[in-house]
Amino acid sequence: MSNVTAQEQAPEVQDGKTAPLEAVQQLGTTQVPGMETNIYFLNIIGQIEGHMVLPPQNKTTKYEHVIPQLVAVEQNPKIEGLLVVLNTVGGDVEAGLAIAEMIASLSKPKVSLVLGGGHSIGVPIAVAADYTFITETATMTIHPVRLTGLVIGVPQTFEYLDKMQERVVKFVTSHSRISEQKFKELMFKTGELTRDVGTNVSGADAVKYGLMDAVGGLGDAMKELNRRIQLYRNDRRNSELVQ
Amino acid sequence: MIIYSAMPVEYILEGMEQERQFQEIRIDNVTMIIEPVSATQYRVVRLLSPNPQDYLHAKYTPGTVIHFRPTT
Repeated sequence: MSNVTAQEQAPEVQDGKTAPLEAVQQLGTTQVPGMETNIYFLNIIGQIEGHMVLPPQNKTTKYEHVIPQLVAVEQNPKIEGLLVVLNTVGGDVEAGLAIAEMIASLSKPKVSLVLGGGHSIGVPIAVAADYTFITETATMTIHPVRLTGLVIGVPQTFEYLDKMQERVVKFVTSHSRISEQKFKELMFKTGELTRDVGTNVSGADAVKYGLMDAVGGLGDAMKELNRRIQLYRNDRRNSELVQ
Repeated sequence: MIIYSAMPVEYILEGMEQERQFQEIRIDNVTMIIEPVSATQYRVVRLLSPNPQDYLHAKYTPGTVIHFRPTT
């Protein structure tokens, strides 16, 4: 029935028949036969796009698309776990924190993996999961929140930026083992970054500071997620028996 | 909006002044914002739907090019 309305309103919308050819043209890939999966894979890439649509040279993660997807993950009984893979350079503070809060408050098991980099606002998203992995070669840039190139004219602007930063610090310290003191120390360190104050924390160091839980790759992350899904299933079964 | 990124802001915002034309259409009972790529090709910018399951369709993920001829 939905097909009929589609044709009425938008004639010549491509149907499934031509889709594989399209995939070859657009992405250089062929369609892989579908397999039922019980995990949802969320890929956080490039810039986290916020209230403004960024120019097309940016690869972006759009929060207005990711948030409803997370709602669907929570709602859909077939999905039992969430795997978040990050390779992001940061982006909008509010959008990033929104995604991080959505992941943190999801009731299903979730595991995150930082690949190339999880910088700036990527840090709260990375720590939002139940268990967090970082690869040996990945890095996380921790630096202060501020407007680049802007001379702060009134103290209120400084106060405002300070408050935004406080939100990031609070989230990260409450969702990981790192202390506020240590996180701020990394944030305001000089002599590490060329254009900024702050630190570039690599894989093993992130674990040492308590920012991430373990150094590992895809296999480790999947294993941990499957283990947590099993526990989650047992928990649910037990609570059903009690009822 | 505050950008908190390891990339310089001037790179991120380059070309911001360029105007983009957005249009709203409805396909398969999903309202979406699209922008023209060519006369018959449009790129999905974002979905406007109250049904969270709509956002899991790979067919209408932002960035997908869809084909249709606008009826005018």
